[in-house]
Amino acid sequence: MKRKNNKFNKRSENPLNKLSLFQKSDSMFSKKCPLSSKDAPIIDYKNIKLLKRYVSDTDKIMPSRITSVSQNKQRKLTSEIKKAKILGLI
Amino acid sequence: MNFYEHTLIAKQDLSTPELESIEKKYKDIITKTDGKIIKVEKWGLLSFAKKIKAYKKGFYIHYKFESESKTLEEIKRNSIIDNFLLRHLTVKYKKLDTDTEYFKDKDINEKKK
Repeated sequence: MKRKNNKFNKRSENPLNKLSLFQKSDSMFSKKCPLSSKDAPIIDYKNIKLLKRYVSDTDKIMPSRITSVSQNKQRKLTSEIKKAKILGLI
Repeated sequence: MNFYEHTLIAKQDLSTPELESIEKKYKDIITKTDGKIIKVEKWGLLSFAKKIKAYKKGFYIHYKFESESKTLEEIKRNSIIDNFLLRHLTVKYKKLDTDTEYFKDKDINEKKK
């Protein structure tokens, strides 16, 4: 039991670490969908600041189980990210 | 009639009169085929995330217009032949918002330098 607790503590010590594909972090994203609140930012291929948050270091699209984006918005995100990649923006 | 957005990427090593002639050329294509231009944005020189045909930077020109499918065929046909362009993209919209400009701040920074 003690060992398990130690491992868990190490992750929670540095919450500012960047999200990786293989590690879940609860601190960066809440469980609610961040894009479907009332004053949510517009998902568009010109809005690069938003799109860069949902792309990994190697330019892969992040899965929704890590970012907790709803299914409808995830479909929009992927299509807009692919458009931005055609124009060389991401 | 539908709303469309069209963006062009021109090569880096072009002079300013050449860029203006490219902008005029596609404006004329839209107006000749019964289209309405709503807005034209110049995003200026932007650097690519990856190299495109051995180029690192390019000039971006962005059109917002209302037209029928005739103009899209003309634009596609012309931009494939064109030697000055690297890439192009058209997107169809039900509603256009002309207020938000995502690349406005970068242009101001370039002028200050």
